[in-house]
Amino acid sequence: MTLAEKTIAYEREELLTGCQAVAQAVRLADVDVIAAYPIRPYTEVMDNLSRIIADGQLDAEYIVADSEHSQFEIVKHASSVGARAFAGSSGTGWMYGFEALVVTATDRLPVLFLVGNRALDDPGAFGVEHNDALAIRDMGWLLCWATTAQEALEHVLIGYRVAEDPRVRMPMALALDGAFLTHSQHMVRVPAAETVRRFLPPFDLGDRRLHPDNPISIAPQVNEDWVMELRRQNWEAARRARRVIEQAYREFNELFGERYGTPFFDEYMTDDAEVVLVGLGTVAMPARTAVRRLREHGHRVGYVNLRWFRPFPGPELRASLARFRAVGVIDRDFAHGSPDDGGVLLHEVRSCLYPLPERPQVLNFLTGLGGRDISIDDVTSMYEQTLAAGRGRALEPAVRWIGVREEAARGVPEERRP
Amino acid sequence: MTQTSDLAFDRIAGVRKTPLEEFYASGHRTCQGCESALVMRQFAKASGPRTVVTGSTGCMYVANTSYMTTPWVVPWMHTQLGAAGPSAIGMAAGLRALMRKGRIAQERINVISFCGDLGGGDMGLSGISGALQSPYDLLIILYDNESAANTDIQATGLTTYGAQTTFTPPGKVHRVMQRRWKKNVAGMLAVGHPTCRYVATACSAYPPLDFLNKVRKALAVGGPTFIHTFDPCPKGWDYHPSYSHELGELGIKCGIFPLYEIVDGRVSYTYDPKKKGRIPVREYLEKQGRFAHLIDEDVAYIQRRVDAMWEEWEIPGVAPLKGGLRPA
Amino acid sequence: MIKRVEINYRGIYQKTLARRIGSDLVLIASRLGKVAFSNGRYSDAPERDGIPCKYFVFVSPDLPEEELEAECGAKLDIDVADVSIVLDDTMVKGVEPWAWHGVRPINEKVSADGCLLVVTRREPTQLLAFIAAKPHPYRLATLEGDASLSGLWVFKDDLTHERVLGAVAAVDPGIVTIDAVADYLADEGREPRRAEAARTAHAATVQRIRPVAPDAGISWTYAIPELPAWDAFGEGVAVPGVERRSELGPGGQARNAGFPRGTTKTERPVVRFDLCTRCTLCWLECPDGCFDPTADEYYDVAYAYCTGCGKCAAVCPVKECIVMVDELRFEDTASPWAAYRRDPAAYLAWAEGKKGPERRSYAHITGTGVEVRPAPAVRARRTRKEVATR
Repeated sequence: MTLAEKTIAYEREELLTGCQAVAQAVRLADVDVIAAYPIRPYTEVMDNLSRIIADGQLDAEYIVADSEHSQFEIVKHASSVGARAFAGSSGTGWMYGFEALVVTATDRLPVLFLVGNRALDDPGAFGVEHNDALAIRDMGWLLCWATTAQEALEHVLIGYRVAEDPRVRMPMALALDGAFLTHSQHMVRVPAAETVRRFLPPFDLGDRRLHPDNPISIAPQVNEDWVMELRRQNWEAARRARRVIEQAYREFNELFGERYGTPFFDEYMTDDAEVVLVGLGTVAMPARTAVRRLREHGHRVGYVNLRWFRPFPGPELRASLARFRAVGVIDRDFAHGSPDDGGVLLHEVRSCLYPLPERPQVLNFLTGLGGRDISIDDVTSMYEQTLAAGRGRALEPAVRWIGVREEAARGVPEERRP
Repeated sequence: MTQTSDLAFDRIAGVRKTPLEEFYASGHRTCQGCESALVMRQFAKASGPRTVVTGSTGCMYVANTSYMTTPWVVPWMHTQLGAAGPSAIGMAAGLRALMRKGRIAQERINVISFCGDLGGGDMGLSGISGALQSPYDLLIILYDNESAANTDIQATGLTTYGAQTTFTPPGKVHRVMQRRWKKNVAGMLAVGHPTCRYVATACSAYPPLDFLNKVRKALAVGGPTFIHTFDPCPKGWDYHPSYSHELGELGIKCGIFPLYEIVDGRVSYTYDPKKKGRIPVREYLEKQGRFAHLIDEDVAYIQRRVDAMWEEWEIPGVAPLKGGLRPA
Repeated sequence: MIKRVEINYRGIYQKTLARRIGSDLVLIASRLGKVAFSNGRYSDAPERDGIPCKYFVFVSPDLPEEELEAECGAKLDIDVADVSIVLDDTMVKGVEPWAWHGVRPINEKVSADGCLLVVTRREPTQLLAFIAAKPHPYRLATLEGDASLSGLWVFKDDLTHERVLGAVAAVDPGIVTIDAVADYLADEGREPRRAEAARTAHAATVQRIRPVAPDAGISWTYAIPELPAWDAFGEGVAVPGVERRSELGPGGQARNAGFPRGTTKTERPVVRFDLCTRCTLCWLECPDGCFDPTADEYYDVAYAYCTGCGKCAAVCPVKECIVMVDELRFEDTASPWAAYRRDPAAYLAWAEGKKGPERRSYAHITGTGVEVRPAPAVRARRTRKEVATR
């Protein structure tokens, strides 16, 4: 008898936004300490959690902080005494607390954060853009995107499970596209509490717990004698995280039904594909629809939805993408001044492909910035361009802006443009 | 000046009754004669073994811990420069949740967080304010050596007027570069947080045991509490380290650093200049190299301001408001 | 060819002095057509009052700047020194700038035929009683004088700077010549006494260089820690706390065994237990927690941890009960209380002998100037009866 047969995986179905789904997961994870500070769009999760606590459905300390920096420090230190802690932010709020995010990783404290992706100021903007969450990519965090409210809920549980594993103990950021995912309502199956408990054991920080019965000093000042070895340790944890993630998905599938195929990324209709697009987050919806429509017209295209950005699934993604003639990388972010002025994901994917003896052509599409919608037609156009590149045509420029208003496109002569 | 009613707490009744055990031990990289190190030693001694501590970046972080060793007997953790308040909240909240949920034993664990004047008086002020509004039992100690001493003595919002620092060097044209008057942190926090039951200032050198007992009292009163200590710094103030005690005593006796405690809104003066008098600030200033460039008129200016603090402020040393109410 | 100069100095007190010596050696060598640069050991920062620190100068007559930089720049410490300058002679007892460094011999870096140049009033044989033996010969030179100590904001212009420049020219003219030093110091209308001080020091130092034979000196007893590999220590930047311990008597209190800090001191407190009133102030006010309460209510001193700040002597209400004495007068860090208990009369005689009649103190000059004046010796009191155990 498998574990799944003994338990009820999902208890009920509810209409939830992405933020509400995360709040339900935080309840199910029996989180001990929550620190809140408002900023759109992530803040809805805190609005929901305060109500959940007020209604007695979760026993947790709920702290209204004075700033994101304090908010992040509160959960960091709550984690250090052995409490399961939750926080989150968006856009410039996430950046305001960045110092605390950096040390949470080097202190190896497995706090879970929701990042409701939001464009960075100025000017103040609410729409989705991935640069906020991506800023943490080199700091020793686990970083993962959910594409649906259901995935958001489940990745809070998977996230705590991976982050708190003694082999890992790294903080975890779960990114949700602002507005599109954080605020749209979908039917979500809510797992049964008992099954969650089987999947997610209580948090135990072991001999690193700050308590009078375990008198340790955490993070004494170092000089040049130690830093490199500490960085090496952190790398090792990130390496171990890959196997722990795989194990977590295996057990999740066992308990909750075959929810996930490969843990790090999903492939859609790639088996015989000539070219694929790769993207993060909700762009998967128009992309998969475009794939279906293009295939009706005989185009062999597929979509790769990257879920885990850190650790980046280098070997797995390389093996997968090696099969295609061209890869179009969709970036809902920018990396101004980087090679070819492309996006962050472009550079990760291109670098990942470099060791291949025969590399696919790689195009980059910068799109959907500041929350601009990415239509099925936009994605169809990206597929057409990628197909052409796969056949050796129209390879330049490597980086293309999709959906930006251009005077040239409207036929305004160059001399009349500002 | 109302006398506070005697609050029941485990007072150390005399120097010979001081607990012998150390919870912040020998073997740290602080300067010779470091009074802030003495603040650490004394608060740890007063608080005892059932304590958890966070320390903000600053001298008492960088100098105290030298990697793979520590002087701390009680559990200690670094926190960021501006995070004294939130780190205390985080620990207290975590411990409270774990105790309530039966995951750790229910007991009183003292949560103490310290910060320097740069970390606490400037950058971390908002976070400390947040902590003083919180429902948790915690104590924040601001050890004030009047500069960013770890970074080699830069001016902060708490540096004494006129002092030489690496950011305020006396020059050929501008003699006094440090023209900001010292921020009144303890008073500001006391006045601004009506539900905070205990705010005090202290000096580890003088009077003996006063600081230890204030720590004991803060922990006994409960809720979020705050103590601001006045720490002579041989490196930045530039005096021979053997004079650390003397500088502390002179600073209190000249009235430049008021010594008081506020329990439930009632102010009592630990050193009451109205009764005990004040020595001229010159006696305090002239013993420190950082004031060597001051001329008589600078000293007179400092003296006038200190006089005003004691003679004109509505609550001397605490709140810089003058006189009674005027008709609108 | 590269000449490497290492300047060992007391943190903060000699920071400006060491840097000036370093800068001037670079400028003088440059005038001689050599390539030179200087830097400090970055791990010493932030400096603390008294902590042993290093400043380096690198000079080459033939290498291009890039190669000199590649060989010597961007390094935490040097491997060998042609000249190791010691600006305070108490550092000959060993230096421990930070934890997991170990107490290292002051001549650790001195090369074969290199020179250890010490500012001191002692004889070379007295210094060698503290200095580790090396497997190869080297030279030891002394420049007569007291340690020049001053505060952070003040450069104590007592000609130590000029005299050290002259002495460097004496021990290794391959770095700078005395003529170049004197020429430089006579520049821009500087007072003639500066160049004169350098020339006088040069002439004296030439007479005070002596060869040190292999194995001359003491066998070093301090272990040099071996830093662990990344996978040989715990993750999560967590370090075990100091173990709880509080017993009466010598060494009875909890202490950080990983970093005693004792090499910071230039002086140590000598306690006349017979005069002690048990007021507790030395113990209560010690920032370093170096006093060990004893069952008979005295306070023993853990000298290995004492940084020599002198605060105990300042707060002690009894004249002569605690006196700060030159650290070089002591061979070990043994418990003074235990010695007193063994033989009170012998201890008091020993203590008075260590203090000596001259009672030298380092003059630490702040912006306004402060001096510790010697006090006359006090005769021994009759030893008190033992008091009840605490």
